Amino acid sequence: MNYIMGVGNYSMFDDSIGIKIIEEIIDRNLDQGFSAIDLSGNLLNIFSYLNEDTKRIVIIDSGEFDLRPGEFIWFTPDLVVSTKELTNITSHEGDIIKVLKLALETGYHLPPIEIMGIQPESIKSEFGLSKTLQSNMERYIQEAIVKVLDE
Amino acid sequence: MKKDINVNVHHLTRVEGHGNIVVNIRNGNIEKCEWQVPEAPRFFEAMVRERHYSEVQRITSRICGICSIGHTLAAVKAIEDALSIQVTPQTNKLRRILKHAENFDSHVLHIGVLVAPDLLGAPSVFPLVATHAEVVKLVLRLKRLGHEWGSLLAGRTTHPTTCVPGGFTKIPTKNELLGLKEKIIANVDGINALVETVLSLAGKIPDFNRPTEYMAVSNNMEYGMYLGPTVQTIMPDGTKQMYDAHDYRKITNEYVNPRSTAKYCKNKLDSYAAGALARFNNNYDKLYPQAKKIAQALGMKPVCGNPFLNSAAQLVECAHSVYETLDLIEELLVDGIKDEPLVPPKKFGQGAAAVEVPRGILFHEYSFDKEGFCTAGNCIIPTGQNHANIQKDFEALVPILIQQDKNEQEMELALSMLVRAYDPCISCSTHYLKVKFVK
Repeated sequence: MNYIMGVGNYSMFDDSIGIKIIEEIIDRNLDQGFSAIDLSGNLLNIFSYLNEDTKRIVIIDSGEFDLRPGEFIWFTPDLVVSTKELTNITSHEGDIIKVLKLALETGYHLPPIEIMGIQPESIKSEFGLSKTLQSNMERYIQEAIVKVLDE
Repeated sequence: MKKDINVNVHHLTRVEGHGNIVVNIRNGNIEKCEWQVPEAPRFFEAMVRERHYSEVQRITSRICGICSIGHTLAAVKAIEDALSIQVTPQTNKLRRILKHAENFDSHVLHIGVLVAPDLLGAPSVFPLVATHAEVVKLVLRLKRLGHEWGSLLAGRTTHPTTCVPGGFTKIPTKNELLGLKEKIIANVDGINALVETVLSLAGKIPDFNRPTEYMAVSNNMEYGMYLGPTVQTIMPDGTKQMYDAHDYRKITNEYVNPRSTAKYCKNKLDSYAAGALARFNNNYDKLYPQAKKIAQALGMKPVCGNPFLNSAAQLVECAHSVYETLDLIEELLVDGIKDEPLVPPKKFGQGAAAVEVPRGILFHEYSFDKEGFCTAGNCIIPTGQNHANIQKDFEALVPILIQQDKNEQEMELALSMLVRAYDPCISCSTHYLKVKFVK
């Protein structure tokens, strides 16, 4: 099985882009040949999909990439190190890069993983997306599908 | 020795504000000792207005990524109360299994990823891979069980899709329930191993006792988690009092505190506690024997007044959730699980409900117009109910730490551990990536 997974917080404006893409894929029945998974902030749930029969995972998340808002970058987890500091106070913070590193170090099967990192326009406590990201939605979806189905 | 100490734990790494710990001690005298909550209001109660009753639980489930099942269940219960919907016994059993899944999942995450590093002397779970790989693997294995357990019932654990007013849109098959039962049984050894790990570290849990009031869902049918409209409080002397969940405003008594953007709560005392320890203290008699055995091994009995043992109470609840779920699955299999139509509304009015989520008692209330559109909503989350109690704990603990001649670093750790023990959910933060390219 191949997966596209969306990471983010639904109520933090552009941080929800990963989840919104998953919603759009499911609503439009575009999930053919792969499953679309809303991970939200429960990043450790990815461990349920790190099986031998998982062939490829595409993760979509917002992030600071020094790009123009709405632009995105593809990268694999091995290309980056996380510089995000976790408070270790609540279970509500996460870092997919650190979670994938944890998976690797604890012996989980890591299939090829590609991350689509989208530069947000605004992160704030509000539902919705900026016009910039909304206008790029179709491009994000098509790129993600091509990537997840890529043999 | 009279010291100067400044503890300033500000969660600047977050895009959203969270809780701050601020303690200033001058020449041994406490000048400031505060648990501050600078979190911005999120206005979910306003968002549900003018939305159809069938949409409300999908919106409020977004309040929290970890407790989204609990918010869904509290919302559907309150909606069903407002709409005079009586769900079937099968629905109630499936929802109880779902509730256990969420608590198990969240508790394992809290104990294994947040509390264990403190007890093992590490700054986070990540360095533990090198020193305690087996513990980390065990926690990840149990976390995975919790996720799969909840996903089977709810469609997905984060922001459930199948649990709606009137029942479920999709239920598990007999074979899927059998599969879940096998998975849970296969992980009982993991629970036992986690218990052994915590027991071996129990001596590192601070010995601190501050009597307070504890509030939890309670009824005579289960260890209060989901069923019933009743809430119970237990006082330090063991005195219990039952309340109707519809009267939740009279027992939460929300008020504004200048050091916090979140409202504080109180009932009979200046503060009360919600959470696993509150459930344990209120409902100990209804715990499964296997769970009571763990409590006894940990030296816990009601009324337990050590807030640091909230995490231990979570471990006790993990065992309870496992064994009650196995029994509920068995009952469903014996009865024969079957598709049922959603129970339709009989009226549109006002309703309220209380459900236990991992961090404590959660109240939802909604009103609907004659077309079924929401006219008002109110949600009181457990962490909000705990803020005043955390503050009171600070005020009691800091003088003890001064007396024990703790230095700044030790004091910061003790206070952080205390806050962490409450497993706070101040709000879901953003999960924004922050990376540096190395290749």
